[in-house]
Amino acid sequence: MIELLENSVSRFKEGYVEMRGHSRRVFSIVVKDGEVERITQGLNRGVCARILIDGSWGFSSTTIINRESLLELMKDAESLAKSSKPVKRRFVKIAPVEPYEDYYETPMKRDPRKEDLEFLIEDVLEADKEVHSYSKNVASSSISISVVDDDLCFVSSEGAKIMQRIVRCFGGASVIAKSQGKIASAHESIGAQMGLEVFEETPIRDAVLEAAKRAVRIVPKRVVPGGYYNVVLENKIVGLLAHEAVGHTAEADLVYGGSFLSNKVGQKIASDMITLVDDGLLPRGFGTMKYDDEGTPTERTVIIEKGVVKRFMHSRETAIQFGVAPTGNARAWSFEYDPIIRMRNTYIESGDQTVEELIEDVKEGYFLRGGGGGQADFNGEFMFTIQEAVKIENGELKESYRGASISGNAFDVLKRVTGVGKDFAMRVGICGKEQPSYVGIGGPSLKTELLVGGGYR
Amino acid sequence: MMNLIEVAEFAVRESERFSVDEAEGFVQKQRVVEIVLERGEIQSERTKTRQGIGVRVIRNKKLGFAFASSLNRHVVQKACRDAFKLAKVSPENPDWVSLPLPKKVTSVPEGLYDEALANLSPKEILEMAIEGYEAVKKTDPRVSIDDGKLSAFLTEVAISNSHGISLQDRGTAISFFLVCIAKEGGETSSFAYEYDVSRTLRGFSAERVGEIAAKKALASLGAKSVESFKGEVLFSPDVAAEVFFGPVVSSVNADNVQRGRSLWADKIGENVSDPKLTVIDDGLLPYGLGSSPFDAEGVPSQRTLLINNGVLQGFLYDSYTANKANTESTGNAIRSSYSSLPSISISNLLVEPGTKSLDELILEVDEGIIINRFSGSVAAESGEFSGVAKQASYIKNGEVKFPLKETMISGNAFDSLKNIVEIGKERRATMMNVYTPPILVRDVNIISK
Repeated sequence: MIELLENSVSRFKEGYVEMRGHSRRVFSIVVKDGEVERITQGLNRGVCARILIDGSWGFSSTTIINRESLLELMKDAESLAKSSKPVKRRFVKIAPVEPYEDYYETPMKRDPRKEDLEFLIEDVLEADKEVHSYSKNVASSSISISVVDDDLCFVSSEGAKIMQRIVRCFGGASVIAKSQGKIASAHESIGAQMGLEVFEETPIRDAVLEAAKRAVRIVPKRVVPGGYYNVVLENKIVGLLAHEAVGHTAEADLVYGGSFLSNKVGQKIASDMITLVDDGLLPRGFGTMKYDDEGTPTERTVIIEKGVVKRFMHSRETAIQFGVAPTGNARAWSFEYDPIIRMRNTYIESGDQTVEELIEDVKEGYFLRGGGGGQADFNGEFMFTIQEAVKIENGELKESYRGASISGNAFDVLKRVTGVGKDFAMRVGICGKEQPSYVGIGGPSLKTELLVGGGYR
Repeated sequence: MMNLIEVAEFAVRESERFSVDEAEGFVQKQRVVEIVLERGEIQSERTKTRQGIGVRVIRNKKLGFAFASSLNRHVVQKACRDAFKLAKVSPENPDWVSLPLPKKVTSVPEGLYDEALANLSPKEILEMAIEGYEAVKKTDPRVSIDDGKLSAFLTEVAISNSHGISLQDRGTAISFFLVCIAKEGGETSSFAYEYDVSRTLRGFSAERVGEIAAKKALASLGAKSVESFKGEVLFSPDVAAEVFFGPVVSSVNADNVQRGRSLWADKIGENVSDPKLTVIDDGLLPYGLGSSPFDAEGVPSQRTLLINNGVLQGFLYDSYTANKANTESTGNAIRSSYSSLPSISISNLLVEPGTKSLDELILEVDEGIIINRFSGSVAAESGEFSGVAKQASYIKNGEVKFPLKETMISGNAFDSLKNIVEIGKERRATMMNVYTPPILVRDVNIISK
């Protein structure tokens, strides 16, 4: 494929052109209640061209790959770049990046391309059996495992020629418990950027059982009463806070649009216990890549250091606008999308307290557990779902409640942090910003205050 | 080069060369043009050409599925072989009966394909997005666009199976949404969302989206908060679709019913909501966002009554769950793309409108809020919802008083369906394919700092 791309790029004489080729091999299994709902194997392969002429981008993609279709692709991209030019306010320039020629591959012990993946079916079926025998209140479960194996190639008119192979193995479990006409669900996930050994290190059955225990525990419980509380946020929730509510506000395109962090470099906006990083090189990180989808090498970007804003995340386009070097954050979900600024692995660094110590200091409040999904606006206002709230009284854990959503302004929440745990954990995530993206999110448990949108007191 | 239906038929024949009992080929070809707006600028314009095939084979009640993004003979042959290999190692499903048998497709709804929309050039589509963009600026200089996207689709599908189903169809769609924000004297409004979505160009207006989005953003300036209380909430069509009909759609899904994931599993003939509520799934709705002559397995689309005056009437089936329950598929199998197996979903979920206008509904509220955007979570199975009321205003004695900030709502959708005070008369097609008017509900928790 790379020769075909090089050939097409070399024929183009005007402006800057980059072509990406992307093959995604997918193997996935979904088991629901003892039945294999689906076993899927597939290959999506396509090519895109992005062309910058006279300060205006054009983009086109196709799954039809031959010499003629690629010429048409270039024509489409070129005509979009030219026709959109008059309505664009900004003349796009891109920061210089050395044109690398390189190959990178996810470090792995067990390469999924070299093994028969059928053994995974047994793993999942066994986990399913176990969860159903765990409790008679387990009404239903859904367990999935996926292996996503990407071959990426990047060729530019500047002479870059990069091939990367990124392998991600991951899984998820959702369990529904039912008791006396009430129903409750819980979810857990596993995964990393690595080979099949991830399923040995973090077996799917452990995740399923954890979800089952939680669902069964909360099914008879009431929803946590709503209100503003002292809380300890479990590490699984903190990753979401780092990514969704804080990280997005440090993406240079959002900074440019007036996000919470714009004009705040050098200012203290969080407790000095907080250091927040977006790391493109984190070993095993779900969002790790050696080069981003513009051919820029990735790096470890410190966004907040001891509460003070340091740097933002950039593409080539925003880097030149801001007068800084690109950070390797331009990523594309597939050949059907142009690269935009995305996070890689975003986390809050560890502190030195145990979770017990964090809880000990709380007179009255809640220990909020189990990560869910969430949303945030670029002013830092966020809303996340938590699965379970455990009452804290005089430093001791009391009864459990069903979770609800939590909300607040992330920077307000980070200012009020009075304790940081040492129970650092990374999770896998799929972030949506017009296009999806595989990201790593993580952090330790934190002690702070926020609004819980539960039942009426 | 074969046309789509020939590829689908070829895949069935190729699969049958292995010793499979049944095979199905689903072929899809799509041309998409997208214009993305970010932070008040045209961020990207894309044209996408995509095509592919999904092959499903069954051997001794064992299922295998494989897909590929090329319709080249060799690639299709490999997909058939992969599907067969997976079927061999897959455990047997004793509930498997059969792929659907052919049934005559008798009605083809009008307004699902628009030649003019199919032939729009990327440049013309870009111009439509600009109209929406300009409309925001023209409405009020305090408003800016956070993001937005205009997408135009031309989709062709073909489906064939061992029992003689051989069908093809094509359709168009266009959608546009904007998220706007208003700024005044250091104050920032909440994010206002507005959209239009249609199968044809008839009545579609990007300009109107821009105007309304801008007005919504302005209307949320000057927000205040109120003390927590339990009161009436007037849900806009979008919020009602998400908060109430998300759980309804999940509960009438026959797969959830059969797996014990639906609280309505044994409630056919019982009251599940206030008698003012009647809900129909209509796959044959002319110009309907989710309409098609046949579903993703080749079963003819139909109208299915789900809730009649508060009484649960039925569930939505694909062929697998219908066989399992010894009934007929309701034609509700959908596929998001050739790379996925069919699953059950609504086509167009129609909520019967009431008689009162939005203004008349507001007049009925003693103390409550009106909510136009919801940023929160809805547990589809349990019906629990909780989240931030965005684009919301406080209502007292039948009058909208002021926009709200830092306000959350929580409750249970199934309780709320029984606490419906009124259903409005102005029905809207939402992005979720739920057509609903605004709905006024009592006894919702309204929580503030």
